[in-house]
Amino acid sequence: MHDLAALEADGVTATFVASTEFVAATDAQARALGFAAVPAVYVAHPIQDRTDAEMAALADEALPRVLAAVTRGSSES
Amino acid sequence: MTTVLDPTDESRPAARTVGSRPEDLTGRTVGLLDIAKPRGEVFLDRLAALLAERGVTVRRYAKPTFTRPMPADLRAEIAAECDVVISALAD
Amino acid sequence: MQSVTTTASSPSAAAQDLPADGLVVVVKQDCPTCRLVAPVLGALDAVDAVVYSQDDPAFPDGVAVRDDTALDASTALGIDVVPTLLHRAGGAETARVEGWDRDRWRELSGVADLGAELPEWRPGCGSRTHDPAVADELLVRARGHLLAARRVELAGLEDEAEALYDRGWTDGLPVVAPTPPRVLRMLAGTTRAPDEIVAVVPPNLVPATVEKVAINAVLAGCRPEYLPVVLAAMEAACTPEFNAHGLTATTWGAGPAVLVHGPIARRIGVNAGGNALGQGTRANATIGRALQLVIRNVGGGRPGEVDRATLGQPGKVGLCFAEDEEGSPWEPLSASRGVPPGASAVTVFAAEGPRGVVDQISRSPESLARSLARALLGVGHPKLAPGFDAMLVLAPEHVAVFAEAGWDRARFGAELDALLLRPPEELARGADGIDEGLAGPTQPQPKFRPGGLLVAVAGGGAGKFSAVLGGWVGGRGGSSPVTRVIEEA
Repeated sequence: MHDLAALEADGVTATFVASTEFVAATDAQARALGFAAVPAVYVAHPIQDRTDAEMAALADEALPRVLAAVTRGSSES
Repeated sequence: MTTVLDPTDESRPAARTVGSRPEDLTGRTVGLLDIAKPRGEVFLDRLAALLAERGVTVRRYAKPTFTRPMPADLRAEIAAECDVVISALAD
Repeated sequence: MQSVTTTASSPSAAAQDLPADGLVVVVKQDCPTCRLVAPVLGALDAVDAVVYSQDDPAFPDGVAVRDDTALDASTALGIDVVPTLLHRAGGAETARVEGWDRDRWRELSGVADLGAELPEWRPGCGSRTHDPAVADELLVRARGHLLAARRVELAGLEDEAEALYDRGWTDGLPVVAPTPPRVLRMLAGTTRAPDEIVAVVPPNLVPATVEKVAINAVLAGCRPEYLPVVLAAMEAACTPEFNAHGLTATTWGAGPAVLVHGPIARRIGVNAGGNALGQGTRANATIGRALQLVIRNVGGGRPGEVDRATLGQPGKVGLCFAEDEEGSPWEPLSASRGVPPGASAVTVFAAEGPRGVVDQISRSPESLARSLARALLGVGHPKLAPGFDAMLVLAPEHVAVFAEAGWDRARFGAELDALLLRPPEELARGADGIDEGLAGPTQPQPKFRPGGLLVAVAGGGAGKFSAVLGGWVGGRGGSSPVTRVIEEA
């Protein structure tokens, strides 16, 4: 969240991908940094015990939402 | 918590907002920032491939540790080289 | 710091409850003198004295005490010291004793043997209303309703300086957070109502209230006593003649500068002496900055948006100084700008950064005038005349050369005008191998339009150096200097 705020301040369009476990923590930190909302993308928890194929499937599934978070158009979602 | 009075004409929202987004990623450089959590690089490898298929220029970066904000030189490097950055994967 | 006792006119619940007649005592437990007089307060019960305690409603023990931990009664009564004994009649105060003074307490209470066991006299302690943290809270409680601006909460993890910068409210330098207590203290610097419209601010033509100007004055780092100068400068800068919209939008780098005239300059500390155009004096550093921040924040004149300056210059952060009217041998500039003698005023003018002019040799006024004229020809471009306005700041050692030769301000101006009337062959395009210049001039041309050169006296005692501040296109197509008397000064 600090990284996102810093990069946005530098004029870079930023988003981050986190597991669903992080929704509450991210919202709290966003508010603490003065943001009303942040364009985060959440994928299903857990992460660390997944196989490579499962991780790739997560990325496939997340892609439209990642694109939507960093562009104005509705992208491919 | 500090309360301040708005010095402006109040035509803009009071909360911080993220900057305006590009229309699409055509011709943009996208940085993929690995925050150094296990398995994140696998996710980013796949994302890099998917973006490259769409004609996006992809650059890869890695934070030394997910426990701290990124170092200033990494921030400057990304800001100089990228239009868009996607960091992953917080778990 | 503004004394919170000035808020006594605000009717609060406690003020309504104040006894209209009789004796009132205000104490706090955390004061040795109050603890000393505690036994006396029991005796005053007999004469129906009302006791308020500022910190501990159980103090003094055994006496009927009114809880004034919220300090409403203390504020309404204007308590500066505890203990205070006062007498009221018909809702108004008729007598007051601060600290312990046996004879006067006896006189006021009519109790002849009051405090026989106590010393004759002990000084009191400071009232809790003057505790800085409490004073801010009281100020907001009493006068916060006057503030209409949107309140913005800075979040817990936001660094204050970063948060204000990130919201786009600064000129790039750190600003002072405009908290409600600071803005209320700033507003105490003017007699004008917070909701009064000061000016309609270019480029977006947004009406600015006294409150909005005060908020930006806090951001800029002004002290409350500067506010009347900032308000007058705002009024001057937002006139059609000054044309702040054009000055903001032009690719030329000049910005609005403020010259302060009259006794207010010395009173609030606007520097007219050494380093008058430089750093180190708070009034000089912040008054011009406040004007620029209002144009930015209220008017919407931001670099990269409406402000299209090719290069800009550091004076655009803010430029303010005063004429050294007391040190000058000449009539002040303000006299020719319609300011009555003894009045205070501001002149807002378009200015680039100052450029020094060296002449350490000339002893005659004729020679020195020629030096200065030569330097003034460089404003904008030596071959463009008339074109841009300018301000000439004469340092004391230079103006003395003219004064000792008997040249007054009018004579100097006339001599300079003659030197600045340039022949057409010097100004024509192509002349001197320079394409820039006037197209086909046939008559001599004045470097400055009538009224386009202002001359002020300022600077330190040593140094045969004056300064030229180039301006912008003068007159209808550009900007004219505008002077405003500071009515409330």
